[in-house]
Amino acid sequence: MTAILGGLFVGVLFGFALQRGRFCMNSAIRDAILLKDNTLLKGVIVAVLVGMVGFAAMAMGGLVKISPTAFFWGANLVGGFIFGIGMVLAGGCASGVTYRTGEGMVGALSALIGLTTAATLTAIGFLKPIKDYLQTSTKIMVGEANPTLANIFGLPHYVVAFGLAAIIAIIWIVVALKNREKGEKGSKVSLGKAIFKNGWSWLAAGIVVGLINMLAFYSSTLAGRSYPLAITSGWIGITKVVLAVPEAKMGWDSYMVLGIIAGAFIAALIAGEFKIRFPGWGMLAQTFAGGLLMGFGAVTSAGCNVTHILSGLPQLGIGSLVGAISIVLGAWLAAYLIFVRPQNAK
Amino acid sequence: MSEKIVPTKTLNVCGKICPYPDMDTMTTLKKMNKGEILEVLLDYPLSVERIPRNLKKQGHKLISAEQISGPNHRLLIEAHGLK
Repeated sequence: MTAILGGLFVGVLFGFALQRGRFCMNSAIRDAILLKDNTLLKGVIVAVLVGMVGFAAMAMGGLVKISPTAFFWGANLVGGFIFGIGMVLAGGCASGVTYRTGEGMVGALSALIGLTTAATLTAIGFLKPIKDYLQTSTKIMVGEANPTLANIFGLPHYVVAFGLAAIIAIIWIVVALKNREKGEKGSKVSLGKAIFKNGWSWLAAGIVVGLINMLAFYSSTLAGRSYPLAITSGWIGITKVVLAVPEAKMGWDSYMVLGIIAGAFIAALIAGEFKIRFPGWGMLAQTFAGGLLMGFGAVTSAGCNVTHILSGLPQLGIGSLVGAISIVLGAWLAAYLIFVRPQNAK
Repeated sequence: MSEKIVPTKTLNVCGKICPYPDMDTMTTLKKMNKGEILEVLLDYPLSVERIPRNLKKQGHKLISAEQISGPNHRLLIEAHGLK
């Protein structure tokens, strides 16, 4: 019951926030080099910082247990890189294509089907040996634990989490003050309109997503899962149930991803942004192929963009750090080859 | 006000996925002469906010952004003339 209600509730909130904040990590990472636009990236960093401080505080209070992802450098590197390439082709990260499906974007739905298909094939199908080989042959642990930026130095988790978050925040503020531009003051709108009708600012979106991730960590712990937000595992869980795999069960994460679609649908409906959008068959094929790459990459690397960046980096996991860097590099390479180079050639 | 402006060219990127609305707009603007007006019809919420944000960097000017219905928007952009 805690899995159903908790997962659905958190998912609806997350989907609502993703839609309102246009919070897509593919756009965030890609736009930094493609459009020289860091708006969404700033939101992602805020969400990571909120998680870093929030998770550490919750762990100190005994509400959650820090659970970093495993570190297998070969799998993290290869899987992350392929995931990064895939999300640029798909036009959205794992969470991005999930929430946009709720907005009525058929291209996102096609990417989501690709993601789920390849993820399931890599988790339990014919691609499993590749993943298993990469994971077991390069796995590194610190004693019995998955390595983090804290335990490799023998430091308590909260010291590194608070310290690192503070250092990043201070550097950011200093840089921001130096580069301060005279921003245009936004026109005043009512609070209701600001929440339900207009797109959220990167700061608001980052903070809200970070807070939802804290709630997610607590809620999933109550359901016996003990990890913050994640996307791919939820879809695999649903597929297993659909395929009637023995002992397969809908877990907290499966209800959560369904909640995302519902939440994004509600948000889009209220804002008048819901519309069935068909991008053409060629584009559907491209997003499906991108989804396939994302699915294989996510399961191989043991995490999609949400697991590694949004939930893994705040827990200081080395596996997530390597996974996140690989995702960024893969995305940048794909963005360069698909968009930047052809444009320069013209 | 924007009713009186006659666009030189119209670009319909409805239905397109991220980031094609932005990329198509920017590439089209690049090929236009200074002062020519591009009309962009789009329905992707992120690009409705992102295109106006990034126009200035290329020197283009947003003349108007209006909501037609629901997610459907119409942008009028004056090209900087990089050609």
